[in-house]
Amino acid sequence: MNSLHDSYHHRPLFPRGPGLGLKTLFLIALALTLIFYDMRGDTLKPARAWTAWALTPVIWLASVPVRLVDMARGIDTHNTIERQNEQLQAEHFVLSARLSKMEALEAENRRLRELLAASAQLPDQVLVAEVIAVNQDPYRHQITLNRGSHDGVYRGQALVDAFGIMGQIVDVAPNTSKALLVTDPDHGMPVEINRTGLQTIAVGLGDERGLRLPFLPSNADIKNGDLLVSSSLGGRFPAGYPVGTVYDVKPVAGEHFMEAYAYPAARLNQGREALLVWNVGARADAEAAAAAERLAQQGETPAEEVSKTAPAAASSSAAPAAATTTTTTAPPPKAASGTAAATRKPEGAPPPKPSEQKPAAQKPAAAPGAKPAAPAARPGASR
Amino acid sequence: MSRPSPQAVWFSFLLSLLVGLLLQLVELPDSLSAARPLWMPLILSYWALREPQLPALLPSFLVGLMLDVLYAAPFGQHALGLVVVSYLVVRLRSFFIIFPLWQATLALIPAWALYCFLMFWIDGATNHRPEIWLRWLPAISTTLFWPLLWSVMELVRRPGGDED
Repeated sequence: MNSLHDSYHHRPLFPRGPGLGLKTLFLIALALTLIFYDMRGDTLKPARAWTAWALTPVIWLASVPVRLVDMARGIDTHNTIERQNEQLQAEHFVLSARLSKMEALEAENRRLRELLAASAQLPDQVLVAEVIAVNQDPYRHQITLNRGSHDGVYRGQALVDAFGIMGQIVDVAPNTSKALLVTDPDHGMPVEINRTGLQTIAVGLGDERGLRLPFLPSNADIKNGDLLVSSSLGGRFPAGYPVGTVYDVKPVAGEHFMEAYAYPAARLNQGREALLVWNVGARADAEAAAAAERLAQQGETPAEEVSKTAPAAASSSAAPAAATTTTTTAPPPKAASGTAAATRKPEGAPPPKPSEQKPAAQKPAAAPGAKPAAPAARPGASR
Repeated sequence: MSRPSPQAVWFSFLLSLLVGLLLQLVELPDSLSAARPLWMPLILSYWALREPQLPALLPSFLVGLMLDVLYAAPFGQHALGLVVVSYLVVRLRSFFIIFPLWQATLALIPAWALYCFLMFWIDGATNHRPEIWLRWLPAISTTLFWPLLWSVMELVRRPGGDED
């Protein structure tokens, strides 16, 4: 390139500048510096965001063929549509019947929860997002969504589909965002085994084998077919969404622990819609725990104030108890505190009783109440 | 052979880079995506061999940065790989250009392999678990696509002189 340009009228980018090798060395050094800084912090985030923004048309163009295929697939014959319509109506009928039952159950659930004075289970706020691109690097399981910071999407936000947890947001641009799927090898999330309540961590395997649960105690009660649900540990994921199904449990040769493997519940590479979830429940839990802690620090409150805020006090004393059970996974205290609250409530909560019970209920609560925020960051994705 | 005007060369250069980016992004079935040819090294090498007056390094670097953003790879990973490959091709241009097409195809295999290795190495260095064997598939597919790309580019550029 530095031998022929004399015969050309336009000026080369480096006019008679440094030689080829020097330029290459310089660019290599620059690239290595960029890699280093990108791995070591967020200093390059703006550059990345700007480039991503500038490349939006390219991403859109690249998704056109797939869209066209989808569109072609969407063209159906009259017959098919009629059949589908019938089927859907039948399904709708069944589902609405079930839904009405669900509503009754939900109401009942809410009443029971109020009775238990557990933290209010606020309905999760959701937003439907469309998958506009899939990372084509076969070793990264990431998708790009058509919602960004303009829609209130934030880093670490959970992403679910109709079948379970898909992943979480790792990168937010104004109008798009990138999500890391649960199967990415960089992704780890806290899960709970639905059958036993055992808390553990599921990390992605990076291929279609799905998820790995490493470092299970060798006597852990886990077997094939166990359903994993998300746990609110870490505060990133809303609790109770399905994450996967265990299909293999095996001891690790030469070690004292077992490993389990699970297929993800969410249909990760099917469908183009995903649901962004605002994890209001976790935030409310954290606030309730903080409030309880503040209450505990105040020491004994005047009797009339307790009587005035009897339901509130009961709720704040039981909320940390619930938090304790989710963090330590010990069922007995939950049952004990649950029944205590339940038996306490119908009596109309006389003033002296809560005040004498409060220290006992809140002492263990103070520590876990503060804890969920701290280990929160660790089980989440590390990127 | 009448040479196309510099503007036309630049136009087709940039257009081919855009097409290359799109080809890197188009969704492939899972079974094929590991074997996606390295479009950007292919296209950049073509231009480095065919039109040596074009700058090779800086476009490689910039395109590499774009690829990094599109693939959410560490910022600079693909840039590094592309710069190294471009440098090799430019430096050894006299060597590649005297070969007939099929021999050039074989002679370029080490360049693709080096690119694969660099990607693999940086992934490993940045704690992204690398899959070892599938990593070399692109080197094979790229080798297969080199004669095809060369012929198609020559064909497309011949008649109008400014088309990509």
